[in-house]
Amino acid sequence: MLEVRALAKHFGGIKAVDNCSFTAEAGKITALIGPNGAGKTTAFNCISRTMAPTAGEILLDGERIDHLKPHQVTRRGLSRTFQITRNLEDLTVLENLVVQSKVHGWRALFEPAITKEELKKAEEILAFLNITRLAYEETRNLSYGQKKLMDFGALLMSDPKIILLDEPAGGVNPSLLAEIVEHIRALNGQGLTVLIVEHNMELVMSLSDKVVVMAHGEIIAEGPPAMVQTDPKVLEAYLGGTNVEPAHA
Amino acid sequence: MATELGVSDVLKARKDYNAALASAGRRERATWFPLALLILLTLLPALQITGGHNYTLHLMLYAMMYAAMASSWNILGGYTGYISLGHNVFFCIGGYFSGMILAYFGVTSLLTAPFAGLAAAIVGFAVGLITLKMRGPTFIISSIALLMVARILFDHWQFVGGSNGVALPQMDIPAQWAKLPYYYGMMIVCALTVWASYRIKHSKFGLGLRAISQDEVKAESAGIDTRFYKVLAFAISAFFVGMAGAIWGEYITYLRPNIFLIILVAANMVLMCILGGKGTVAGPIVGAVVLIAFNEFSVTFFGSSEINLLITGLVMVLALKFFPAGIVGTLAKKGRLPRVLDWD
Repeated sequence: MLEVRALAKHFGGIKAVDNCSFTAEAGKITALIGPNGAGKTTAFNCISRTMAPTAGEILLDGERIDHLKPHQVTRRGLSRTFQITRNLEDLTVLENLVVQSKVHGWRALFEPAITKEELKKAEEILAFLNITRLAYEETRNLSYGQKKLMDFGALLMSDPKIILLDEPAGGVNPSLLAEIVEHIRALNGQGLTVLIVEHNMELVMSLSDKVVVMAHGEIIAEGPPAMVQTDPKVLEAYLGGTNVEPAHA
Repeated sequence: MATELGVSDVLKARKDYNAALASAGRRERATWFPLALLILLTLLPALQITGGHNYTLHLMLYAMMYAAMASSWNILGGYTGYISLGHNVFFCIGGYFSGMILAYFGVTSLLTAPFAGLAAAIVGFAVGLITLKMRGPTFIISSIALLMVARILFDHWQFVGGSNGVALPQMDIPAQWAKLPYYYGMMIVCALTVWASYRIKHSKFGLGLRAISQDEVKAESAGIDTRFYKVLAFAISAFFVGMAGAIWGEYITYLRPNIFLIILVAANMVLMCILGGKGTVAGPIVGAVVLIAFNEFSVTFFGSSEINLLITGLVMVLALKFFPAGIVGTLAKKGRLPRVLDWD
């Protein structure tokens, strides 16, 4: 599904991501973890082309997407959320969802802002996320957690093949987090591929099929959660030493 | 007696409430008002049957021109959030395009205005491809640079008369009716611009532009080709300003760079939008009418001095103190917008 080959992103002499290779298999949940400054979000930005990589190849379903513009990557079926929610504050929740729909180019001039089909689809997504009541609310009036949910819903409007979630649990209360986890599981159950960056180890270990660990811009471990959490290199990267008990899932 | 409500009851109540609000909104939308205004403007020249209303017609034509230009600017500056201070370049291109055809071939600008608009749009598209890579203050400065480059070019281009300009032939019509062709021409341009502005705001393209004005990175990541949208908005915006320039050029019977290419013309478009409400459909029209009315008031009472500039500044300061999002924008946010001005 998603294949990253020797990805590098350098800022002058700083190698934020270097020789980073991993795959996110179709229908699976892959987690990208690592300590602060490991290069996870930079890798995410390069994959979604919000940032141009210095070197490397990114393939989606076997086709290179590393030369595309961000909107073209989205149209190929790869959608993402941001670490700090980026919402269109003056737009309603419904508009935030619909803006992600698939009408583009000259056609957009003659299509109404929200078509009946889009309205129906958006209503289904809002109902799935239990935020139907917020449909006509301006985004600026939403709580942080509600914005996270809305962001999640907006991804689904474009019928993505794979979604990239950048710290979906960040700043979210435990009950909402449980809700988000359930939504991710449900969508994955329907065949959606998920790549997730997250610091919440409990969530990562319970949710993921595979964990990829980054430190100092490089991949240091990769494998099933149970294997990764006992890997000495991972423990060293997180805790600065190997003489510790492994984390429990 | 207390009544227990389940979640589904609350959701249903909320849905009913929203549906009621939406249908009430549809019922109350005063679409008749712009139409009535258009009919009134169509009938206004009948005053000339009694004669002596040339100045009124001139003032209305002038207001319609600025309403069209401010509405057109609003497509880029209001919906998309890109502030251009060089939009009068397209006003100039439109004016010179039709003016030179009139001067050399004798074809009136009333017929060539759409082509003048097209010429302005093509230049707008080309310029937009370069300048719209910039954002915020850098884009504003680039638009001023465009204005300066155009001024130098037109001042030294002898084919179009250089800085001395070129006189245009006048229509052979009695003075009493001489303004009418241009009055109606400008009215059509104004009506078309406002209609296009309304249609764009309610289109998928308009939603994309509004998304760009909020957060361009997010908009791009949502699948919007932000560059194409911005450049297209720039070209459409230039199109209507170009048409207004074509009619204005023949109307004043003279083309000269310092008529079109002074920053005051562009500043007026921006100020009218800000005063009326940037990003709203009715705002630029309200802004144009209020600014022109105050300008005329000061000229009438204080003579043709620079006091009118002072009064314009004073109006802007007071208006923005009490209406920070413009007159229409602020009233709409407070829920106090008169129905006749709710064109959004």
